[in-house]
Amino acid sequence: MRRNWMLVCCLGVMACLVRSALAQEQERSDKGSAVVASAGPSTANSNASHDRRSPPALRSTASAERAQRIEGEKRFRTNCGRCHQPPHKFPSRVMATAIRHMRVRAMLTDEDMRLILSYMTQ
Amino acid sequence: MGFISNFSGGQPDLHPIATPLVLVPIGQRWVFETRATFENDLVQLPGRSGFHGGPVQKEVEYAQLDFIANSCVTITVGRFLTPFGIFNERLYPVWIRNLQSDPLILPIGIGPSNASTGGMIRGGFKARPQFNINYAVYFSALSTTSPVDSDRFAGVRTGIFIPKARLEMGGSFQHLLEQERSNLFGFHAIWQPTLLPLDIRGEYANSKRGSGYWIEPAYKLSQLPFLQNEMRRTQLVARYQQFFTGDLVSDALPPINTKQFEFGLNYYFIDGLKAASNYGRQFSSAGNLNVWTLGLTYRFVVPMGSAGGPR
Repeated sequence: MRRNWMLVCCLGVMACLVRSALAQEQERSDKGSAVVASAGPSTANSNASHDRRSPPALRSTASAERAQRIEGEKRFRTNCGRCHQPPHKFPSRVMATAIRHMRVRAMLTDEDMRLILSYMTQ
Repeated sequence: MGFISNFSGGQPDLHPIATPLVLVPIGQRWVFETRATFENDLVQLPGRSGFHGGPVQKEVEYAQLDFIANSCVTITVGRFLTPFGIFNERLYPVWIRNLQSDPLILPIGIGPSNASTGGMIRGGFKARPQFNINYAVYFSALSTTSPVDSDRFAGVRTGIFIPKARLEMGGSFQHLLEQERSNLFGFHAIWQPTLLPLDIRGEYANSKRGSGYWIEPAYKLSQLPFLQNEMRRTQLVARYQQFFTGDLVSDALPPINTKQFEFGLNYYFIDGLKAASNYGRQFSSAGNLNVWTLGLTYRFVVPMGSAGGPR
């Protein structure tokens, strides 16, 4: 009786988590496709005229990269520093493997993993 | 790798240890990871000079295959560190832990050799903009083959992490599917205040074989206005822990109620190289004793092939 109760609880928790994860995945893919759809033509134009971008466009790209780097560093200190002293930067091929290990071990979210990897390989 | 010298109740014990960790990315979604331990205990024998040890103890701590199914779910099979509490899975390696001694309650819930043999589903995801949720659900089968022995149990660990407050809290639950078929549970927390270079970690565990808790603050002296190059590398650590015996006995746990206070100092020479020292006093009805530890740990990385990218 107790084992059945345990099993039902475990299955319930797993079902809730998987449902939440799937909903989140769906929401993300919807957002992603909306961004691609809205940015499609301008992206094509920017590729064609890569060297002819205006200074404001270059400035916004640089500021976006800087914001991503700052956010990556923040996530790195917040997540990695919870368990150990944050390491110095590794070569990108090492970091790509290490981050996959840490994703499993420290249960990093997908977003955290990407930002930390981006920061650590810059 | 590390070299730890322990003086417990006046008895010296030299403890060289090497724990290589191998990570093999396979394609975009798979990772094989394994960690082994090679260690020896060198002790002084009566009537003989110097330190003597037996053969080197070799153990595969875990060997697991991970499949990253999607952004929130990873499936693990093989032999994995039991995710009960946080110390065994996340803080155990000598180069990570702040104090080189194990918490008294560490053996609760992690099986006979700290690992499980079976399968696990785990992951982390952003549930709300303010917090992330992480979880691990696992099942372990009975294995009596030493040194890869494991108990038969099922369990779950879940936690919530609030990045803004830098606070993680969680709980573990496990049901033993053999012997006394009892339930085990525990709680854990990690807090890093944003204004101070301070970590506070703690765990509580409860089982029929005993219960207890530990709390461990660690403070880096980087905010002191003098000798800044040295102070930012120096960390003060303390741990207070208590263990209470349960209805059943366990070889791995203290046989009597015990409390222990430890105070330590770590110095980080360079990234990965750390000197550790700590003094502790253990109080129990069997007698009080001093515990001294001195050690040097080093972590390094050697790329051995072409690495895969993240999924």
